[in-house]
Amino acid sequence: MIEINGLCKSFDGYQALNNMNIKVQSGSIYGLIGTNGAGKTTVIRHMAGIIKADAGEVLFDGENVWDNEGVKQRIGLIPDELYFPNNSAPDDMRRFYSSVYRNWDDSKYRHIMDLFKLDPHKKVGTFSKGMKKQVAFALAMAKNPDYLILDEPIDGLDPIVRKIVWRLIVDDVAEKEMSVLVSSHNLKEMEGICDYIGIVDHGEMKLERELDLLKGRIHKVQVSFGKDGLPPEINDNLNIIHRDTRGSVELLIIANSMQTIEETIGSRNPVLFDILPLSLEEIFIYELGGESDEISKLIL
Amino acid sequence: MFQLDLTSPKSIYEQVIDNMKELIVTGVMPEGSRLPSVRELSKDLTVNPNTIQKAYRELEREGFIYTASGRGTFVADVSVIKPDDAKIQNVEKEILGGFRSLIYLGLSFDEAKKIVETIINTEERSKRND
Repeated sequence: MIEINGLCKSFDGYQALNNMNIKVQSGSIYGLIGTNGAGKTTVIRHMAGIIKADAGEVLFDGENVWDNEGVKQRIGLIPDELYFPNNSAPDDMRRFYSSVYRNWDDSKYRHIMDLFKLDPHKKVGTFSKGMKKQVAFALAMAKNPDYLILDEPIDGLDPIVRKIVWRLIVDDVAEKEMSVLVSSHNLKEMEGICDYIGIVDHGEMKLERELDLLKGRIHKVQVSFGKDGLPPEINDNLNIIHRDTRGSVELLIIANSMQTIEETIGSRNPVLFDILPLSLEEIFIYELGGESDEISKLIL
Repeated sequence: MFQLDLTSPKSIYEQVIDNMKELIVTGVMPEGSRLPSVRELSKDLTVNPNTIQKAYRELEREGFIYTASGRGTFVADVSVIKPDDAKIQNVEKEILGGFRSLIYLGLSFDEAKKIVETIINTEERSKRND
């Protein structure tokens, strides 16, 4: 389990993190979502033990990461800005990693490099941005980490490579209960992969949710009762959190179960009654309290 | 095995359950056949293994599958499962919706009725031949 408790950090008077709390259970994949500058990378750099918090702590199974080599042995990290020593090839990195990390798995490294079809003897400097990321991923996974921390991992990767990356990650989560924290500004990419999502803004946690519970709680409904308009009982009996009227057609966002909605509306003979799919982005917007520009900007 | 629909109002968890039930009830996966492991299916669908695990637990609770420790998860005898009333009602509504759609297309009541009867008769014949 990874616990981040009351993390605060300011840089030259700018409050980058303000009492940030995150909990990632073992075998869970946590998605950290936020705009550029929201504080995602700062959180990750604290988790990696690279920068020291003003207040608060980052614990990995109860152990503080700061200045703790034993914990860092078990962390796999892909930072947003990759660094490879000058003139090094992936195989040079492999030699370095295998000398430093006790759980290094050479066959896993080769397997992933083969999947990516990367030449381990070519200089990393000649690789494209996406290829460098793939090398970093192969190195991080071959460390056999208990905790994997990924900063915008799929940025710059093509769809096929993305699929391979996610597959390898879910496999390790299933096999050895690896805990994963992955940051992204793209909520859509997180669906299916993450079981928890946290949305950060201005260094604060705005909303944390378990993804499986999100869908099914809010529904988008298109309904019309002709020229009579919406019967008042519908307004009274359903929790309508957003209403948009276009002519005689009403677009409603309702926070009730599908069954309640069907019974309440269906029994009053609507002329038109459709339940429309609601994207994960829309769900978050309404969960965060409506369609304000500020909130939309956080997610879309 | 099956595909997930990220645009669906159903959560991935529900979709895994529904797809599995369909495979079991239609006999694509007969009684006693082995389900893919959580790890295999999560890799296959690129979905969080916890979601698959939860779906399997629910399928087991409802009696569709059982776990034999150390050997895996298998399809149970589903003929003994009592269907849920609420779900029957839902399907009734779908059938009604389908019937109404035929009438919206411009068919008379009798023409629509005939189509439904033909479907049922065909279904009955294929069932008898099994």
